[in-house]
Amino acid sequence: MDYKAPVETYTGRVAEVVIGKGSKAVKVGGESVLPLHTFEGTIPNMPKIALQTLDAAPPASWTQWVLEPYGDAVKDPVAWAKKAAEYGADLVAITLDSTDPAGANVSADTAAAVVRKVNDAVNVPLIVYGTGDEKKDVEVLVRVAEVCTGEALLLGPALKENYEPIGQAALAHGHNLIAQTPLDINLLKELNIKLSKFFPPNRIVIDPLSSPLGYGLEYSFSLMERTKQTGIIFKDAMTQMPIIANLALETCKTKEAKANRKQGILWELMAAVSLLLAGANIIVVQYPDTLKVLKDLMAGKI
Amino acid sequence: MKIIGENIHIISRTVNDAVKERNPRPIQELALAQAKAGADYIDVNVGPARKNPENVSWLVDVIQQVTDLPLSIDTMNPVAMENGLKLCKKRPLLNSASGRTDSKANMLPLAVKYKCDVVISVLVDTGCPPDVEGRSESIMNTVALANEQGIPNEDIWVDPIILPVSGDQVQVGVCLEFVKILQDLLPGVKSTVGLSNVSNGTPEHLRPILNRTYMVMLERCGMYSAIADPLDSELMAINRGERPNIVKVIHRVMDGEDIDLNSLTPEERNYAKTARVLKGDILYSHAWLEV
Repeated sequence: MDYKAPVETYTGRVAEVVIGKGSKAVKVGGESVLPLHTFEGTIPNMPKIALQTLDAAPPASWTQWVLEPYGDAVKDPVAWAKKAAEYGADLVAITLDSTDPAGANVSADTAAAVVRKVNDAVNVPLIVYGTGDEKKDVEVLVRVAEVCTGEALLLGPALKENYEPIGQAALAHGHNLIAQTPLDINLLKELNIKLSKFFPPNRIVIDPLSSPLGYGLEYSFSLMERTKQTGIIFKDAMTQMPIIANLALETCKTKEAKANRKQGILWELMAAVSLLLAGANIIVVQYPDTLKVLKDLMAGKI
Repeated sequence: MKIIGENIHIISRTVNDAVKERNPRPIQELALAQAKAGADYIDVNVGPARKNPENVSWLVDVIQQVTDLPLSIDTMNPVAMENGLKLCKKRPLLNSASGRTDSKANMLPLAVKYKCDVVISVLVDTGCPPDVEGRSESIMNTVALANEQGIPNEDIWVDPIILPVSGDQVQVGVCLEFVKILQDLLPGVKSTVGLSNVSNGTPEHLRPILNRTYMVMLERCGMYSAIADPLDSELMAINRGERPNIVKVIHRVMDGEDIDLNSLTPEERNYAKTARVLKGDILYSHAWLEV
């Protein structure tokens, strides 16, 4: 008698979001199975891995082995992004660090020009993150949206405090939006409801905030898992957006990651694999080594 | 169900100032308003009462000048508790004892001494048990101890402890499940609950519908009373049986009926949506009525 493992089928489906336009377009989401449950159905788009860059040369606090894979390329955002694409990144994440009012505080125009240059130079789509400053991000992200009109970037973070102007700009200029909330499933749902009143839900990506081990990984994990299950099993449309695990910068700044090269990579890899299992559709990482292991894992090579 | 009026509590600015100034008027107005609205008990909540355990005596005195309703003395401080209980003209409610070590030692003996009814909550030293089994274990333990000291089940009001739906939605359902089995666990026991806690953290204007809906759900599971706001006239109307259509729609949701929301009146629709969230069928968000 052959044993047939029971298969669960669900009718909830993660929305499919298209980032980038034309031949550059990358799709995320679209699955109606729990994370990586390829034995229960099809996963039209396996999770995508993005490599992290900045809009200017990295600060001195970055460790030497983090910069090693890129060498001098980190001095120029275009060269850096190109190198990231060469390493096999499905998308390039660029964080507009120099717009930080507490730092270089560069203008929205300057930042938008950099994003345009990078976007035009690489053959993969862009994820563009502001610094999280509620007010500055509005100026910056609105300008980025305008300058890159039609390019279908993934822009964020849109917060409870500033989602309206950023959302309107993303809507008007054909971009996708990262809806970010602080590790709270109820607030996550509320922001998606508020956004969906004027913004297409299939252009929203959820950022529930991701932390590495020792800084809240287990909270990120359970939240991501619960969000995914609520969307797929309970068909709650306001939790069906694809999820992004924005790990790179959070992980690399920890003392654990800065201890030595091997631990630095492992700290990131451990969080990335955990969140892959929890349901992340996009994972932003720092190390090309992490990217390679994740890709091999998903291809069944490990 | 019986309503214990919650409005005289030390966190309220009005009450706190009145107590400090020893001004009886605001307190007496609140007591009268709650009595007029149909409250069965008046809760006198002085909180931890660490600094001024004698405030409760003044409050009890001042309230009893204007109403004959029995009082519920609400504090964690055994000294303040005793101060309150001994002045009560009508048989009071000791609010509350719990499964915590110090409470078992300090509060239960007061219930015996003053021959009053006692609220016993499921709390233990480590906090609130997260599941039905944990709550059951705690309450069986504490009630057994109370019985041994001569307090019968009929004088005990079990508090299952409700947590805010916006903070821990799962616990809202767990609490209902526990209430359902309470009479099997402890035949003859009464029950009460801090009803407004279910809506703690929710935007103010949305709190009443959560409180009212949960009250209906708790009553159906067998809840005997609630510490609630008698000045919410809709809550009291529902409690008096004057809103049968609302109660019916909430029961239909509890029974798992697949209701077509468009077949309901706008008011019923809101209660149905609220019941679905409290039942756990739909993930809570502050915008639950907008979806």
